Amino acid sequence: MTKTMAMEKMLNKADLAAWMGKLETHQLFAPMLEDEGVWNYAPVVKAADVALDQPNTVRPPKDFVFPQRETLYRFEQVRGEAPVLTETLPDPQPSVVFGVRPCDSRGLVRQDIVFTKEFDDPYFQGRRAKTIFVGQACKVPPSPNCFCNSVGGSPSSEDGLDLLMTELDGKYHVKAVTQRGADLLAKGGALFKEASASDKAAVAKAHESAKAHPQRPIKELGKVAGALKQNFDSKAWDEMAKACIGCGICTFLCPTCHCFDINDEVTCSSPCKGERVRTWDTCQFPDFTMHTSGHNPRETLGSRLRQRVCHKFQYFTENHDMPQCTGCGRCISLCPVGIDIVSVVERLGQP
Amino acid sequence: MSHNAYLPKLGRIAAIKDEVPGNRAIKTYQIEFVSGDGFEHDCGQCAMISVFGKGESMISIASAPHVTGYKQFSIMKTGRVTTALHDLNVGDIVGVRGPYGNKFPVKDWKGKNLVFIGGGVGLAPIWPVIQTALHHKGSYGKVSVFYGGRTSRDLMYKADLDKMREQADIHLSVDAKEDGWKEFVGFVPSNVKDKAPSPDNAIAITCGPPIMIKFVIQNLKELGFTDDNIYTTIENKMKCGIGKCGRCNVGKDYVCVNGPVYSWAALKELPPEY
Repeated sequence: MTKTMAMEKMLNKADLAAWMGKLETHQLFAPMLEDEGVWNYAPVVKAADVALDQPNTVRPPKDFVFPQRETLYRFEQVRGEAPVLTETLPDPQPSVVFGVRPCDSRGLVRQDIVFTKEFDDPYFQGRRAKTIFVGQACKVPPSPNCFCNSVGGSPSSEDGLDLLMTELDGKYHVKAVTQRGADLLAKGGALFKEASASDKAAVAKAHESAKAHPQRPIKELGKVAGALKQNFDSKAWDEMAKACIGCGICTFLCPTCHCFDINDEVTCSSPCKGERVRTWDTCQFPDFTMHTSGHNPRETLGSRLRQRVCHKFQYFTENHDMPQCTGCGRCISLCPVGIDIVSVVERLGQP
Repeated sequence: MSHNAYLPKLGRIAAIKDEVPGNRAIKTYQIEFVSGDGFEHDCGQCAMISVFGKGESMISIASAPHVTGYKQFSIMKTGRVTTALHDLNVGDIVGVRGPYGNKFPVKDWKGKNLVFIGGGVGLAPIWPVIQTALHHKGSYGKVSVFYGGRTSRDLMYKADLDKMREQADIHLSVDAKEDGWKEFVGFVPSNVKDKAPSPDNAIAITCGPPIMIKFVIQNLKELGFTDDNIYTTIENKMKCGIGKCGRCNVGKDYVCVNGPVYSWAALKELPPEY
């Protein structure tokens, strides 16, 4: 998205619902309590109920641009005849997603790279163009496993966002990052007041204090890729993966993971009718890489843990000069057997 | 927005030739584009072939770039999609999208002797290079082709190889002795060692089962071929073909985009995960 002139405004917390009320051209989403301790994005039903300072969502916002299951096209073929292929490109209602944590918006930046390099992905890009992401700067790390600072981010990073909101004593400081963010802000009209010099100083201070909160450390990020390369053959990979049950939660709920499967789902055999569908997939499943011959380049749990960690901290870094991990900590918090990517990087990714 | 890369073009099966019989049969298909909006390709590139209702498979394009009107694919019956392909008839319509992957640097090989070493269905990916070298005969040096299979019934392109004997040195082999077989008996790497092609001003191009490639490279190096004069193609499971689904990822590369063609000098820098 094109960057715009910094536009910084103040909004009373009590006026958030009024601003949302003016965005009727868009469908609004915000984190909602789904179950005990489980926050997830859901459509905003009553704007007054939206609270943005909650813990991060269990599912990252990647669903909005890269849904778990997506039909690429429909096919219908009478044997011996040409099939009819019906493209099912997404045409979603424009939407605004509130409460996006900076680690998750930085995940979108990494997905942007994957889904636009070499070849366009019209499904991803179609949804991305229609979805506005409004960030929520973290005051304190929402999870004990947060480590955004350790992977080049910060609790107030603007990367991938259209607007960044920071809570300040009963008010929100709202900064437009992109033009479409500025347009969204403008719809609030008089609800927004110009940010004063003291507001700006207060927000800078808030960001600084958030950044100063202790997080899980990765000491020398710049040396991780090289160290992982050196340790490719280490026996420690198998050792650390021993408890892994191969559930894939670390990748499914990762804001940067983009791997997918493509399958035909058939609803009628004659004529052959169905959909070609893509679904999230994971390098943690053994059949992810298994050849039809039975040969499997990544046969062991250790080799699959290595793939996840090296893809994030070595391969992606070699290609794009940034790790493909934004430090949200979900893969640590949600792993049923306690595999901890920071500990793995500490052990095999440090000189 | 450019064309939707996931949406295949339609191809009509114009001809089918049985190459190898048995459980892992190989058939060669000539596929022509239904509406003439096909694509051009380079030696070494692949295409995703769809059987609607079954799925897609990434297959090497076995015809040379100068062959227009159809694309040739030699396909071993192995999994769901390739089995479905083997059940199709001339006239049936499949999906074709591509071309995908990098290419053999054939233009850089002008004036050089080319040593091709194939095993089983692995002759298909290097076949367009052989065809190109012979089509522009004056531009390249001596062409030799080593090719082997488990038995003589497992060899494909037999008639074409026989015809080729006037223009190239053809060295066939079968793994074990059989009645009436007059050429080399033994594995492909041993045949290469036995005939000992000279590494002078030469490029070796090999494709076949991973174990064959391993010993071919070992023997080529013993003969004096350097790592950057040995080329091979690798394969990995693929779904998208356009560097996004992550299946074929090896180190910093996606085989569907950065491969499948590698010099041994480049390949040995990647993790051995193919």
